[in-house]
Amino acid sequence: MFSGEHNRGVTPLFIEADADMEILILLIKLFVVFNVIMGLASICTWIERKGSALIQDRIGANRAGAEFDAPKFQTDNFALKPIFFGVNMALAAGFAAFKFAGILGLVNTLVCDGVKALTKEDFVPDGVSTFVHALAPFMAVFPVFVAFAIIPLAPEFTIGEYLIRPQVASINAGILFFLAMGSIAVYGVVFAGWCGNNKFALLGSLRATAQMISYELAMGMALVAVIVTYGTLDLYEMVQRQSSFSHWGVFTQPLTFLILFVVGMAETKRGPFDLPESESELVAGYFTEYSGMKFLVFWLGEFAEIALFALILTILFFGGWHIPFVQLPENAWWAALIGHGVLMAKVMFFCVLQIVLRWTLPRFRYDQLMNLGWKMLLPLSILNLMVYAGLRLGGVL
Amino acid sequence: MVPISFYLILAAVMFSIGAIGVVVRRSAIVVFMCIELMLNAVNLTFVAFSKLTGNLDGQVGVFFVMVVAAAEAAVGLAIIISVFRQTKSIETTEVAELKF
Amino acid sequence: MIVLFSIMALIVVVSALGVVLNRNPVYGALCLVANLLTVAGFFAMLDAHFLAAVQIIVYAGAIMVLFLFVIMLLNFKVEPRKGKGYAIEIFTWASGFVFAAVVARVFWGALRGFRGGQAEIMAAGAPGGIEGSVKAIGKLLYTDYLFPFEASSVLLIAAIVGALMLAKRKGTSQDTLAPSKPVR
Repeated sequence: MFSGEHNRGVTPLFIEADADMEILILLIKLFVVFNVIMGLASICTWIERKGSALIQDRIGANRAGAEFDAPKFQTDNFALKPIFFGVNMALAAGFAAFKFAGILGLVNTLVCDGVKALTKEDFVPDGVSTFVHALAPFMAVFPVFVAFAIIPLAPEFTIGEYLIRPQVASINAGILFFLAMGSIAVYGVVFAGWCGNNKFALLGSLRATAQMISYELAMGMALVAVIVTYGTLDLYEMVQRQSSFSHWGVFTQPLTFLILFVVGMAETKRGPFDLPESESELVAGYFTEYSGMKFLVFWLGEFAEIALFALILTILFFGGWHIPFVQLPENAWWAALIGHGVLMAKVMFFCVLQIVLRWTLPRFRYDQLMNLGWKMLLPLSILNLMVYAGLRLGGVL
Repeated sequence: MVPISFYLILAAVMFSIGAIGVVVRRSAIVVFMCIELMLNAVNLTFVAFSKLTGNLDGQVGVFFVMVVAAAEAAVGLAIIISVFRQTKSIETTEVAELKF
Repeated sequence: MIVLFSIMALIVVVSALGVVLNRNPVYGALCLVANLLTVAGFFAMLDAHFLAAVQIIVYAGAIMVLFLFVIMLLNFKVEPRKGKGYAIEIFTWASGFVFAAVVARVFWGALRGFRGGQAEIMAAGAPGGIEGSVKAIGKLLYTDYLFPFEASSVLLIAAIVGALMLAKRKGTSQDTLAPSKPVR
């Protein structure tokens, strides 16, 4: 699975020499990436709840965890008073922080929603296969999580004698893998709707599937334009080509960025393209028949997909971890940390942007949506590709 | 290192399972899926031989087989839909006569 | 590596049997999707990375979605069991088994029977490896195989138009999604 040319200290898994260290590094990378995914998805959930509340001019969740007052311990023993004072101060600080988080809605979103989903009754509708009902959330979430494998999260750095690239799998067909996972994500929607024994769910899932496969075409063309401009398929190399500010993707190919932004929102069924789960029309669209933990898995998958698209946009168009006019030393571990922080800041910007767009714009009608995908975005992305292919052939790029 | 012949044996097994499916099953859509299975077995054979000879032509062949399979799937499913509309059934035993 | 190969080979064979033996077409389609994804994994193991990605994008991601659409929309019945006369089935299974056994024996023997360096080639592939990257296949597609490439675009257009014309409804027709009784 790993190309032979990439011998950068992260050697292919199946070569026996020094396999233990490589497996350990791989496991650490997997752990880190998994934490990044879950962290991003949880933060996006919280931003969605609190942000939507603020946009809709209401306060949102602020009760859970905000009513606890710190206990105060008393003692009459004079010798123990300083210790008790210290303990009281620490408890007060801890509870104050918890109260602040509660007022912000963090406790509600992160703790209460999870507990609620876990303890809800998980019913399967009558006459529907339990296996496929349980398989649908898995197939909706699995491609999103796996697609994080090709995403580089920080520049390369050296520890000891190992040169580590924070990318779980630097395969030969880098961004094609992302396209492939986008194609697999359709299955979760198809099975979720079919498994409901419910016409509304089936209708929602058909709309969602048609929408996703229509916009996949424009996405493919736009990604090919990106590949033609950068001359490489590997995401890490694409970031490295954007090391100077004027080479950022958004300046060299602005139209591709716009196309991919719109397509990304359509693929994740977010924003003005959320007809499949249109909350005011179809009950809950294609996941009407899901409750409890399975619903939470769908929800988590959707927010992970938001984070994934934000990452893709940042890596392809906004220089990834490069700060505009600052040049950090290569291969230093602290430069990698700073780079990772910069990347996460940019990703947060795009996540917030997608969430704000969702709560600001009214949704498309179905025929408007299909019109946009087939009659506007697809010809536009093909023309865009021809322009950039011509520029590349002419030697300009 | 997995010997290339193992891939070829696996492809042969897959092909024979697909061929059995085409003969044995009566539902047209399952017959269709078994045809796709056979095409995949052939693809696997092509790629295995391409690795065997070091020649990339086998992989280009697979590319074209996939294109043709996509075209054939679209047209075949359209045919199945029209037949289903006429006779409300896709069992090959029931649509064996040309009159409706 | 052989462990990974055997696990994937087991998945391939079991899902292929699942396609053939399942009476509900939806489960058969699910098994076929699993099969296609595993075959994509095999392509990646054989250094055909571009083909692995294309297999997932085209086969598992588009063709099988089309299959599932048709199966779910038209709501095919689960195939009833055959009442009598299993002679065809037995004969077919037997001859399929014989065919697979013969081919397997031929290739197994090829591992050991070849003279000289051929046995190593049969085991490890051509020396020097193979590069199945997008760049290499793209070069071939646009130089040696340019005509088939352009012809396949004509084929796809013909298939699209043909499928559209075949599946078009003529005049007023029954609703295939939710066949409902007329409201009087």
